[in-house]
Amino acid sequence: MLKNGLSYFGVMLFSLLSHISLLIIVFVKGNYDNIMDPMILSAAVLGLDFVYYIVLNFIKQNTYTFDILLVTILNISVIFQSCFGKVGFAAKHFGFSIAALVLCQISFKLVQDYRKIEKYKYIFYGIIGVLIVSILAFTGSRSMWIDLGFITIQPSEFIKPFFVLVFATSIIHLRTQHKILGISIVYDNWVLFGLTGVIVLLQWWCRDLGSLPTFVGVAGCGLIMRICYPKAKLSKKLIIGICAAGAVVVLAALKLAPGYVQQRLHVDIWADPNGDGWQQCQALMAIAEGGWFGKGPGFGRLYKVPAADTDIIFSSISEEWGMLASLLVVFMILLLIITAIINTPRSYFHTTLSVGASSVFIVQMALNIFGSCNLIPFTGVTLPFVSNGGSSMLACGILAGFLKAGQAMVYYVPPRPTAQTNNRRQRV
Amino acid sequence: MKSLKRGSNLITLMIFVFLIGMGILIWKVLTEASFYISHSSEGNLGKIYDCNGEVLFDDDAKSGDYPDGHFKDIGNLIGDTSGQMTNTLVNKNLEKLSNYTFTAGIDDKNGKAAVYSTLNHAANEQVYSAFGDKDGCAIAYNYKTGEVLICTSRPNIDPISGYDDIENLPSGSLLCKAFSKTVPGSTQKVATLIAANEIMGNDTLMNKSFSCEGVYKNNTGMDIICHNEYGHGTQNIREAFANSCNPFFAQLVEDADWSISDIKNKYNALGIAVNDDEESTFEINGIICETASTDLDNKNEFDTQWGCIGQGTTLVSPCQMMMWESAIANGTGKATMPYFIDHVTNVNGRITETADTSYSEQMFSEQTAADVRDIMLENGRNNYSSIGYEVGVKSGTAQVKNGEEENSLLTGFVDSEDFPIAFAILIENRQSYDVSTDHIASVILNSLS
Repeated sequence: MLKNGLSYFGVMLFSLLSHISLLIIVFVKGNYDNIMDPMILSAAVLGLDFVYYIVLNFIKQNTYTFDILLVTILNISVIFQSCFGKVGFAAKHFGFSIAALVLCQISFKLVQDYRKIEKYKYIFYGIIGVLIVSILAFTGSRSMWIDLGFITIQPSEFIKPFFVLVFATSIIHLRTQHKILGISIVYDNWVLFGLTGVIVLLQWWCRDLGSLPTFVGVAGCGLIMRICYPKAKLSKKLIIGICAAGAVVVLAALKLAPGYVQQRLHVDIWADPNGDGWQQCQALMAIAEGGWFGKGPGFGRLYKVPAADTDIIFSSISEEWGMLASLLVVFMILLLIITAIINTPRSYFHTTLSVGASSVFIVQMALNIFGSCNLIPFTGVTLPFVSNGGSSMLACGILAGFLKAGQAMVYYVPPRPTAQTNNRRQRV
Repeated sequence: MKSLKRGSNLITLMIFVFLIGMGILIWKVLTEASFYISHSSEGNLGKIYDCNGEVLFDDDAKSGDYPDGHFKDIGNLIGDTSGQMTNTLVNKNLEKLSNYTFTAGIDDKNGKAAVYSTLNHAANEQVYSAFGDKDGCAIAYNYKTGEVLICTSRPNIDPISGYDDIENLPSGSLLCKAFSKTVPGSTQKVATLIAANEIMGNDTLMNKSFSCEGVYKNNTGMDIICHNEYGHGTQNIREAFANSCNPFFAQLVEDADWSISDIKNKYNALGIAVNDDEESTFEINGIICETASTDLDNKNEFDTQWGCIGQGTTLVSPCQMMMWESAIANGTGKATMPYFIDHVTNVNGRITETADTSYSEQMFSEQTAADVRDIMLENGRNNYSSIGYEVGVKSGTAQVKNGEEENSLLTGFVDSEDFPIAFAILIENRQSYDVSTDHIASVILNSLS
């Protein structure tokens, strides 16, 4: 049985009270000229809450904890995004949050049944191929954006969910090994290995070095999950081999990294606070200025710094709302991931999907937070569900659907299987 | 089922590693937040006090809170938060002054962070006034403890009164000259005397005598001119030091009892960068002080001799001159390291840092310290009794701006267990009718006694 633990009403009340508390802070401590500004924000946030709570009842599933956590995080991010510099209403972010919720439900439905995914997996490879071609054709070698005039799209963000998806496919084929030159190989694994290489080279080419660790993380987790199957245990040789390969990859990356990346690895940002490390210096100063409880919504100054609402958003939240608030958001995103551990997926396909989606979220959180705070080189990636940015938000919505699917699956009931097929299904 | 559990374990592992990172981040932010704030334009800074509890820096002060020009004697030493002056006590110690806690944030107006300096504001004001309309600087400290008591520089500014028209400020208003290199003139003869005494030994040095006829034609045929056009006649080192005789010191440099590399090594020991040596700096509570430099190529050549006399390319900061005096006066051959900050209190009023007396590396032997001390005291007794204290001194006249101007310098120490003061004074472009360095020395010592 899935562990709901909390009642629907209880989780809903927690979500609602979280938003109401933050909105009260906006009204009482916020920096606004017109009372209508926080009113509009409140109407939008609470309106979305109520609509989503109602809509959820029409979606057949085993648990609602994940959904309510998701809308809680998204609406908190809408409140934060609406207050940087001055209280207003981040309509674009709000719109993309709704889109992310919709995409979450769509992808949830899409990946519920692993057999359908298996059947259409070539479509997902195709989508990845189209996205790769679009990067090659439209972004240029030092850019990661396609500018359509009215909107900019980051194709690499959309590759992430499909990359996670294809790693979870063909699990059944892992048992079908082919002998080539005396070596046993699985075709699908080599295809995925090649795909990873292509994407890594592509990211390198367009200098999207922020997304690169995310793809490597997904590939690493996917590889481990695939090697694991169907055995439950990794051999010591395999663990040593994976660690050695990882070390070689990291060392090679460090050696081959472009000059500006090498510089970021060694730069003392405080030696010249107005130089290369200006953004990180400003971000750390903002965290310090905010302290535990913040300066108040709209009273920050970090919003003037480029990427304040994306790459250094952890600091922007800390400055205006306090580090307690930013830690709370991080905790809630982790909670979202932890639901996948509490409600353990019942199929290997969904387990692999959950691991892949979790790795995207965790790696991106680490890159965003630790990079902006100068614990690791600053690569400039978004904080899942919180940072401003449509491509990232939509990709996160799709990935959230994968996590949710693991917790509310649809089981295929076969018509009295033969002994052979029954054995296969049980393992999957 | 175990295979499925593998996924949960992998997610748990990733979360665990991430949480370790978050833990490090929180620890880093909590321990370094004051440092970050010290770089921020926001935040509330504590005060700096002088040794008598008088305020030297008040970030919250507005024009009118203090008398106009009240901080003009130490304005460019103490500094402010405007960013116009960087080598100042405030700018270099923002973290110590930060009235900030992560819990209270930047709005904590009740913080007790403060820097208690060793400076004596009243004495600084007197010395600053004694300069009259002349530019220059004076620095004095306790050569037993290292407490800097006076450090004033002209021209100067009063940060509280404001100094908006920066482009039209007199040159040098925004930096304390005590830490900048200048041509030392004959005060450099102290360094040359130390080097000669170390290499030749006191007996040999004392037995040497050279003649001065007003001009000395050196081994390469160049003239070394003495300030006394009639010459000093035949002198020993004591007489030549007191007379500040250039021909004597030129002949001493040419002497066969030492080599150019000997002089270079001893100069290096004194902290003088010679020829291609990398010029370094040292810090006094964060304030950067330039170290001395000169060129020594061939001891028979004019430039080398001129450099050992304290002209040409030789440059020394008044602060470093003062430190050499301390190494002579304290009898160890090690300079007492100066400091401006006696103690620091944090935002809660708890003392977090107290000054300790420290010394430089051994620059010369204790015997040389005693020998040179004796010569300088004799000079003080015979020629500078007007100062009014038992002092060992050396004066200097430095040619600057291609000889168009002459700076007057005086460096020395008081020979007293109870009043152990070493000092260095610079008066720029001094004319004969202007205030003298010995008068400034007298004001320094009177104001501190």
